[in-house]
Amino acid sequence: MDPITLGGLVAIATILVLFSGISVATGLLIVSAGFLLVFDGLRSLELIPEILFGKLDNFALLSIPMFIIMGASIASTRAGADLYEALERWLTRVPGGLVVSNLGACALFAAMSGSSPATCAAIGKMGIPEMRKRGYPDGVAAGSIAAGGTLGILIPPSVTMIVYGIATETSIGRLFLAGVFPGLLLVALFMAWSLYSTWRHGSAEVLASRSYTWRQRFEIMPRVLPFLLIILGVLYAMYGGIATPSETAAVGALLCLMIAMIIYKLWSPAALWSVLRDSTRESVMILFIIAAAGVFSYMLSSLFITQAIAEWIGTLDVNRWVLMGVINIFLLVAGFFLPPVAVILMAAPILLPIILAAGFDPYWFAVVLTINMEIGLISPPVGLNLYVINGIAPDISLKTILSGSIPYVICMIVAILLLCLFPEIAIWLPNAVMGTAV
Amino acid sequence: MASLNNGSVAQTGNSTFLRIVAALSNVSGWIAAGFILLAVGITCQMIFVRFVLNQSTIWQTEMVVYLMIAATLMGLPYVQRLRGHVNVDLLPIMLPPPARKTLAIITLLVGISIIGLIVFYGFEFWYEAWSRNWRSDTVWGVRLWIPYLAVPVGFSLYLLQLIADLVALLRGYEKPFGIGGDQ
Repeated sequence: MDPITLGGLVAIATILVLFSGISVATGLLIVSAGFLLVFDGLRSLELIPEILFGKLDNFALLSIPMFIIMGASIASTRAGADLYEALERWLTRVPGGLVVSNLGACALFAAMSGSSPATCAAIGKMGIPEMRKRGYPDGVAAGSIAAGGTLGILIPPSVTMIVYGIATETSIGRLFLAGVFPGLLLVALFMAWSLYSTWRHGSAEVLASRSYTWRQRFEIMPRVLPFLLIILGVLYAMYGGIATPSETAAVGALLCLMIAMIIYKLWSPAALWSVLRDSTRESVMILFIIAAAGVFSYMLSSLFITQAIAEWIGTLDVNRWVLMGVINIFLLVAGFFLPPVAVILMAAPILLPIILAAGFDPYWFAVVLTINMEIGLISPPVGLNLYVINGIAPDISLKTILSGSIPYVICMIVAILLLCLFPEIAIWLPNAVMGTAV
Repeated sequence: MASLNNGSVAQTGNSTFLRIVAALSNVSGWIAAGFILLAVGITCQMIFVRFVLNQSTIWQTEMVVYLMIAATLMGLPYVQRLRGHVNVDLLPIMLPPPARKTLAIITLLVGISIIGLIVFYGFEFWYEAWSRNWRSDTVWGVRLWIPYLAVPVGFSLYLLQLIADLVALLRGYEKPFGIGGDQ
C-alpha cells in the first residue's frame, strides 16, 4: 500500500479511536501499535517501551511540570483577584477600568502560568462576580474571562509552546518571545470589544471608573509586587543567557510555592497537597500524551507516511496562502475536539516540513497555531474554558457564555489575519532579542 | 469534548480488590508527586552549585530527568484513578446509556490489552538493562535498570487500575465514562 493511502487510513483510524472516548494517550498508543503490528510485524512492538522512555528522556520537558507547579501554586491563592484589583486601582482614568483590569490581569497571570484553564479560573473566580455586580452584561463578564484565559498558552511561559518547541526542535526561548506581541495584540482587541459591547448594551455608566486614593493604590502593591518580580526574574534568567527554560522554571516554581506559603499563608498540608496533586495530575496527563505521541510519530515515519505527505504537498503546487488557509482550518477543527497539546504533537511533525517548504517562519507558525488552539478552547464542543467559567459562575447559562465568547473568537481570527499580513508582530521580538534565526 | 473530569474519583464500593488497587494507585501517586517535588529541589540545588558556587555539576541533570520520567510513569495509575487522562467524550455523551456502557467496556478492554502489551515488553526492556548491567554513557554512568524500572512498575500499576475500573463498571459501582451524575 502506498504511504499516502496508509496515511489516510491512519487518519481515519485515529479519529475513530479518539472519538470512542478512550483517553487520548492510550488511543494514540492503540493506533500506533495496530499499524506497526499489521504493516511492520510483531517485532516492532518491542520498541514501544524504549520509545516511550526515550521521548521523555529530555531535560527540556522538565519545564512542563515546573511551570505547572508555578501556575498551580499561584492559582491556589487569591493572587488573581489581587492582580485585577491592583490594576483597577491604578487604571482609574481608563473607561471600563474593571473589564480592562480583568483582561490585563489575565495577561499578567498568563505570564506566570502556562495553562489556559488555570488562568481562566484564577481571574474569573473573583472577576466575574465583581463585573456582574457592577452592571457589566453577563456575556461580556463571562466571555472576556473565557477569552482572556486563553492567553495562558500564548503569553510566555506557555506549556503548548514548550511542547511545540520539543516536537519541532525549535528554540523554546525564541518561541516564548514570539508569543509576546501577538498576546498583547489579542489583549488590546479583547479590551476594545469588551468596551464597545458594554457601551452598546447601554451600560455606559458602568464604564465610568471609581476613584481610589493613593493610599489604596499603594496598600495593595505588597501583595502583587512579588509576582511581578518573579515574571521579571524569569524573563531575565532566560534571556540574560543565565539559565535554560527548565532551570528557570524550577526556580520560578520554588519561588511561587514559597510566596504562596508566606504571603498567602498556604500552610496547611491539605492545601499544599492539593497544589501538588493538581500539578501532578496535569503534568502526568501531558507528559503521557507526549510519550504516546512519540510512539505515534515513530509509527508515521517508520511507515514513511510523514515523508510521503510532505512530498505530496510539495508536488501539489498550490498558492502558499491557500495552503496556510487549509492548514488553519484543519488546526481549527482539530482544536475543536482535542486538547492543544495533543493537536500540536500529532500535527507538528507532519506540518513543519510543509510549512518550511512553503517558506513560512516556524516561530510565526507556532503563534498562528497557538491562536487556533485558543479558539478551540472557547468554542463548542470542547471549549475547556467555557466549562471552567460554567463551573465558576453556574448561574450564567452555557448559552450566554457561548454567545458572549463568539465575538472574542472573531477577535482571534482578526489577530490571525493581522499576523498573516504583518508577520513581524510575531518574529520581530525574537529576532531583536536573540538575533536572526539561522 | 475533551474533558477533565475534575473532582471525581473512581468508586470502590465494598470490594476488597478495588480498595487494594485504589490504595496502590494512591501510593503510586504520592511517589510521583514526591519525585516532582524532588526534581524541583535538585534543579534549584544544581543552579546554586553552578552559578553561586561556580562549580560544575555531575549527576543533577540526569537525575532530574529520570525523576520526571519516573513521576510520569508512576503517576499513570493515580491519574487514571482521578479520571485525569483527557478524552473526547462527545460520542459517549450522545449515546443512549446501554450503548454507552458497551462502548465503555470495549474501550477499557482495548486499553487493558495495549497497556498489558507494554507491561510485557516493558519488563523485557528493563530485564535486558538489568541482566547486561547497562550504564548510561555520561560521567555519572548510572545503572540504567534503575530508571528503567519505572516502565514495568508504572505500567503494571496502571494496568491494575484499568482492570479495577472494568470491574467497578461491570459491578455497577461506576458510571460508564463517569457520565451520569457524580455521587
